[in-house]
Amino acid sequence: MKDFQLAWRNIWRNKRRTLITAASIFFAVFFALVMRSFQLGTYDSLYKNVIESYSGYLQVQHQDYSEEPILDNSFEADQEMLSKIESDTNVIDVVPRLESYALAAAGSRTQGVMVLGVDPEKEERLSDMNERLVKYKLTDEAINALRSEELPARTKKLLDLFRNEAYSSTGRMMLDLGISAEDSAVILPLLRKEASFTNNYLSESFPQGLLVGSGLSEFLKINVGDTLVLMGQGYHGASAAGNFIVAGIIKLPSPDIDKRIVYMPLETARDLFAARGLATTVVLSIKNFSDKSVISTARRLNSFVEPPLAVKTWKELNSLLLNQMEADSRSGMIMIGILYLVIAFGVFGTVLMMMAERRCEFGMLVSVGMQKRKLAKVVTIEMFMMGLLGVISGIIASLPPVIYGHVRPLRFTGEFARMYEDYGMEPVMPTQLPDTYYLWQTLVVLIIISIAIIFSVRKIFRINVIDSLKA
Amino acid sequence: MKLKMRFFSFPAILMLFLVPLSARAQQMTATEIVKKTDDKFRGEQSGYSQMTMTVIRPAWQRTVEFKSWSKDDDYALTLITAPAREKGQTFLKRKSEMWSWNPAISRLIKLPPSMMSQGWMGSDYTNDDILRESSVVEDYIHTIEGSEPIDNRDCWKIRLKAKADADVLWGEQLWWIDKKEYITLKAELYDEDGYLVRSEKASDLKIMDGRFIPAVVELVPAENEGYKTIVKIVEVKFNITISDDFFSQQNMKTIR
Amino acid sequence: MIIQVAWKNVWRNKTRSLIVISSVAVGVFAGVFAMAAINSSVVQRIDAAINEELSHIQVNNKEFRSSSDISDLIADFSSADSLVRSIPGVDATTGRIIIRGIASTSTKSAGVEINGIDVGKETEMFDLEKKVIAGTGTYFDADTKFNSVLIGEKLAKDLNIIRYILTTDAVARLDSMKIPSDVLAKLEPVYGERFTSDKKFNRELEKLLSPEEYKRYAILIKEAAWSYREGSKIILTFLDMDNNQTGAGFRVCGIFRTNNDMFEGLSVFVPAGELRTLTGIKEGSWHRLIARLDNTDLSDKITLQAREALPGYEVLNWKEIFPDLAMIADFMGQIYGVFMVIILAALAFGIVNTMLMAVLERTKELGMLAAIGMNRRKIFGMIMFESIFLSIIGGFAGMGIAEAVIEATQKNGINLMKYSEGMEAFGYSAHLFPTIDTGFFVTTTILIVMTGILASIYPARKALKLNPVEAIRTE
Repeated sequence: MKDFQLAWRNIWRNKRRTLITAASIFFAVFFALVMRSFQLGTYDSLYKNVIESYSGYLQVQHQDYSEEPILDNSFEADQEMLSKIESDTNVIDVVPRLESYALAAAGSRTQGVMVLGVDPEKEERLSDMNERLVKYKLTDEAINALRSEELPARTKKLLDLFRNEAYSSTGRMMLDLGISAEDSAVILPLLRKEASFTNNYLSESFPQGLLVGSGLSEFLKINVGDTLVLMGQGYHGASAAGNFIVAGIIKLPSPDIDKRIVYMPLETARDLFAARGLATTVVLSIKNFSDKSVISTARRLNSFVEPPLAVKTWKELNSLLLNQMEADSRSGMIMIGILYLVIAFGVFGTVLMMMAERRCEFGMLVSVGMQKRKLAKVVTIEMFMMGLLGVISGIIASLPPVIYGHVRPLRFTGEFARMYEDYGMEPVMPTQLPDTYYLWQTLVVLIIISIAIIFSVRKIFRINVIDSLKA
Repeated sequence: MKLKMRFFSFPAILMLFLVPLSARAQQMTATEIVKKTDDKFRGEQSGYSQMTMTVIRPAWQRTVEFKSWSKDDDYALTLITAPAREKGQTFLKRKSEMWSWNPAISRLIKLPPSMMSQGWMGSDYTNDDILRESSVVEDYIHTIEGSEPIDNRDCWKIRLKAKADADVLWGEQLWWIDKKEYITLKAELYDEDGYLVRSEKASDLKIMDGRFIPAVVELVPAENEGYKTIVKIVEVKFNITISDDFFSQQNMKTIR
Repeated sequence: MIIQVAWKNVWRNKTRSLIVISSVAVGVFAGVFAMAAINSSVVQRIDAAINEELSHIQVNNKEFRSSSDISDLIADFSSADSLVRSIPGVDATTGRIIIRGIASTSTKSAGVEINGIDVGKETEMFDLEKKVIAGTGTYFDADTKFNSVLIGEKLAKDLNIIRYILTTDAVARLDSMKIPSDVLAKLEPVYGERFTSDKKFNRELEKLLSPEEYKRYAILIKEAAWSYREGSKIILTFLDMDNNQTGAGFRVCGIFRTNNDMFEGLSVFVPAGELRTLTGIKEGSWHRLIARLDNTDLSDKITLQAREALPGYEVLNWKEIFPDLAMIADFMGQIYGVFMVIILAALAFGIVNTMLMAVLERTKELGMLAAIGMNRRKIFGMIMFESIFLSIIGGFAGMGIAEAVIEATQKNGINLMKYSEGMEAFGYSAHLFPTIDTGFFVTTTILIVMTGILASIYPARKALKLNPVEAIRTE
């Protein structure tokens, strides 16, 4: 107890020194937490978006489907099983899909396409389909009309470059045409007036209505209201053929997919491919998608979902994405590692300086009889206290930027922003709110402090009384 | 091992006239055997046939019935007559073009190469089998490997090795050709590394429209378990009169 | 005078100086190396895209990219070609015929993009020849009467041309690579068996080996079992100028391996002459004109010039064709910014602390100097110079270490093979060769040294505020 009091008094005896030492630790903790928060936040938003918008966190599939994604590996979407799945506490919705390939033909042009049969309402709720509908198109008429309006010169010049470009969001259009947030209030209504695109979503009451990718509509030269023929092979070798009408045009971020995609109501797809009652996958939208609950939900559901079906997690379905994420995480850790290297030197430097400065003091204490061991103990306690001071203040100081970064994140500019917009994501770099990583980072800093203490203690034991007194 | 006709020795020529047909045939070259078999297989100038094709897979099985008209090697018109879903579809082959007519969508479409890479109507017959113009006589080097009975019929076993510059997928083929009728009763198709890719078996030999032909052909791909395609000839007419105009897009839509 | 004193001071207290120098050195090393590693994967990707896939500038018929129609050729190739060549900065040009088609073997088929090339010119402009896997062929060098085609490894796998067989040679090789013999024994059931796809081979391996063994050895076993028979044949089917289906057999004259799966799976290369014979495209007609520049950085500028010179055509540069590459370069800049800010801030505070401590430690000495008449400016100057020396020494030391480590890792690279699947699917190499261009290097070092100097201002000012009398009296 006495040692603690001694240590405490020692610390405040020389405020400046204490504050400087504590400060080095404060900064270490602060920077580590803020940087890691940014990293994790970015991964979160990026990957979460990708997963949610397409594969979802859990899917029910035929066990052979992921290896061979062909129509013949579809399964009967048994209502009883689906209701049972839906009743699970973590499951919000059960979204069936039927996916296959066909040849699309319009006029004299043909193109191989991917056909997705979806439940219009459920799919909307899951992947926000309405967002993807093209809302603006810079057609020749639109550009001519816009030319005569009040627009900044820069935008007028850019209009030509983006002739015939289709947009599903104002965000991307603003980026392309160089419209700043301030101008938008004036310009957007104009764009809406001249460049709006009439579009419709899928509806079960319009079974022949399809959504086609904007690239596909360009290639086949078809527009809303035009006819499209799809033909190919259906389930178990049956032939598939049908006439359809373009109900709406969507824009997907990947040009390759955008040129080859067709959405239709699930029942229409089942008719077309002679696949009554079947689905190639059922996507589950869930409440809690942390790693742990995804795995436990999968386990719960797999207990009554019988082979040859299986409930698969997004990690099993997306090995490529997983690979990428791991690589990213690794590189993120390397960056943090480098940060720690720099920080550690800062802390060591300060501590060593402090020891050097107090050499005289220590020499004196030892010469009047204080045991080196006791001295070491007191100094250790002092350093821990300073460390703790630094850590706590560091954590507290990190909270404002982390919280602010989450609520009002940093915005990207340039091409990168465009890519984000294309994917329907906001081009921001958010932070992740305090979580277990806070503990981990703090732990590392404590380890650094401990190493510094060990060095200091060694120094104490090496003290040569006479030399230090002479300092 | 090639058997040569000994033209220039007098006894041989005498033999030619005195020895019965089958013995004489023993002295044909492998290539001549193959050519004769091929010519017979391709039939006469023109023909009509009614066939059924059954596609067998581990999990399911389907049978398609169709009528087919052909002229030379260049033209063919096929009309699907069953099952109900496919009924009325027609396919027109004109030289190396393939057209498809589907009454359900009232659409005439020229099939692009990509469409043709899957099996025709879900079967194990590929685009290559139907449209490619490779010649089993020209593109291969033939050797007789011996004799072997298939279904109690005496056959030559002939090896066809693809020529290096030929436009064929197969590395080589083995044919068992019935010595009497010049029908390939069994065939094995190998890739360039010598691995078996497909087996074919002809059976149910009978006389149809005056000719002795196999009424059933089975195609078995080697790679996948439980896969098979069986084609049965229900009716056939050889050498019918049929003009080139018959093979028209117009006719695709109206033929019954 | 001050400078000499400062210099002497630096070496007087070795420990302190060493600490500050190390801090700066570590900062420089860390910043430079991290950027080098990240930069390298981006640079590699861009280099690969330019040297293997796209080159710098492409000129097409305006309809061609959306129609992919064989008849949408460049109307007047020779004049377009001479126009482009006359632009300064253009190093070489060539033409390509581009047709969509199907490649098939006896068991599989796949959609491909067939590129009819001028072999001589392509070797000047592209690196694909170097990417041909040893033992699979000699690019188009062999004098052969057969049609030849160059295909990518992914396509070869998709068409089942690449097989996996554990031959006795393969097993011997694995043995020499120190694969434990019990693992090899487990593989005995499949010795000599041919697997036509790597999925099938993987599945067998998973069955025969334990999960840890699979994780450790699967990649090596697959490499050893990789087998290809030189001169395999594929059939290419496509439409000719009259829209009739045509095709022919082609001998594979080489299999190339890049880091881009998509490119490997889709693009095949054939001497243009062979395509002309089959399709009827006339001599001198091409779908695309490709130009290579001396200097990648001038891409934008030269593209504008080319666009003006060729108003009837579509002129694009690599950034416009692969906008995500341009984006990644942008992204790198921003990430670098954020990263450097954090590292510099951490460094600055580290230095401030250390120097502050140093000043406190030297209170007596500084007080003495003030007492004997050294004026404030000189004291300030002395401390500043000390910091400058320390920062510069640290800066150079850091540069030196960074340079050394970059050299060392550049040769063999940092192998992230475990992540190669994900990275290569997007076209990124999993084998990093840290590189950094001099600009970055110098900028980073200067930034860090300046931080060191600026961080010393506060402690230096503190030193000035010392009261000489008190200072001398300090313990």
